[in-house]
Amino acid sequence: MSDRVQKLAQLQDLELMIREVQDPASKEQEEALGFSVGGLEQLEKAREKLIKQIPGQDLRVYWRIRRRYERAVVPILNRICLGCFQELPTSRTRAFTDSDPLPTCESCGRVLYWL
Amino acid sequence: MTAEEVLSYFSPDRFINGLRARSKDGVLSEMSRILAEDDDIRDPGLLLEMIRRRESLGSTGLGKGVAIPHGRSTAATQTKVVFAVSRRGIDFDAMDNEVCRIFFLIVAPYEDNKQEYLPLLGKIVEMVNREDVREKMFAVECFDEFQEVVRGALGE
Repeated sequence: MSDRVQKLAQLQDLELMIREVQDPASKEQEEALGFSVGGLEQLEKAREKLIKQIPGQDLRVYWRIRRRYERAVVPILNRICLGCFQELPTSRTRAFTDSDPLPTCESCGRVLYWL
Repeated sequence: MTAEEVLSYFSPDRFINGLRARSKDGVLSEMSRILAEDDDIRDPGLLLEMIRRRESLGSTGLGKGVAIPHGRSTAATQTKVVFAVSRRGIDFDAMDNEVCRIFFLIVAPYEDNKQEYLPLLGKIVEMVNREDVREKMFAVECFDEFQEVVRGALGE
């Protein structure tokens, strides 16, 4: 998988974890089961560090999609975009180079992540 | 959630009787690799990154010899669980400072549309809170025996 897409997927996972820690209900549920949940500051530092490793144009695409959808990076499974569940055209392949734009779904515009 | 519903997240391919790892990070790597062999989860790097970050919030070593690393990731399209036993025990920074011998790695999709992740986690915690169930889980030799322990623990 492209390092560029993987970095965006990492950012997405990290931002989800930050939201879970910030959400009192989610945190309470975990703590009720016996897990300790802290370290928000550490996660935010990790997020800042990760953002510095992502090209500016990729971040702009990511944030533009995030304004519209909760999930900006979505897996492709059996040629189906798991964001909008539309089938990709057969001409679409996973191959793209670092100089290409990010691979996005022609239907919903989310960044595609081939499993 | 019934025993059969809980068991639907497990598989013989995700059953490890005797972890090779000797460290906490080694356990996370070994279990993530097994999970990433599954058709629905194929990126061990992304999974491992998420699991390590979750551990940085606080160890998922619950104590009494049990650890349940867990989280949601873009790398997963289905909720899946790996069950593993370590015969020697692993220092997992557990809350009681004891080594952990029984491990469940739970990974759920980014969007948990079926809202199955926390109920599943709750059922597993409910089972391992019982000493008799922990003893039986530590003693299982194969996946069939593990299934019987789960059915017994959840009353079916």
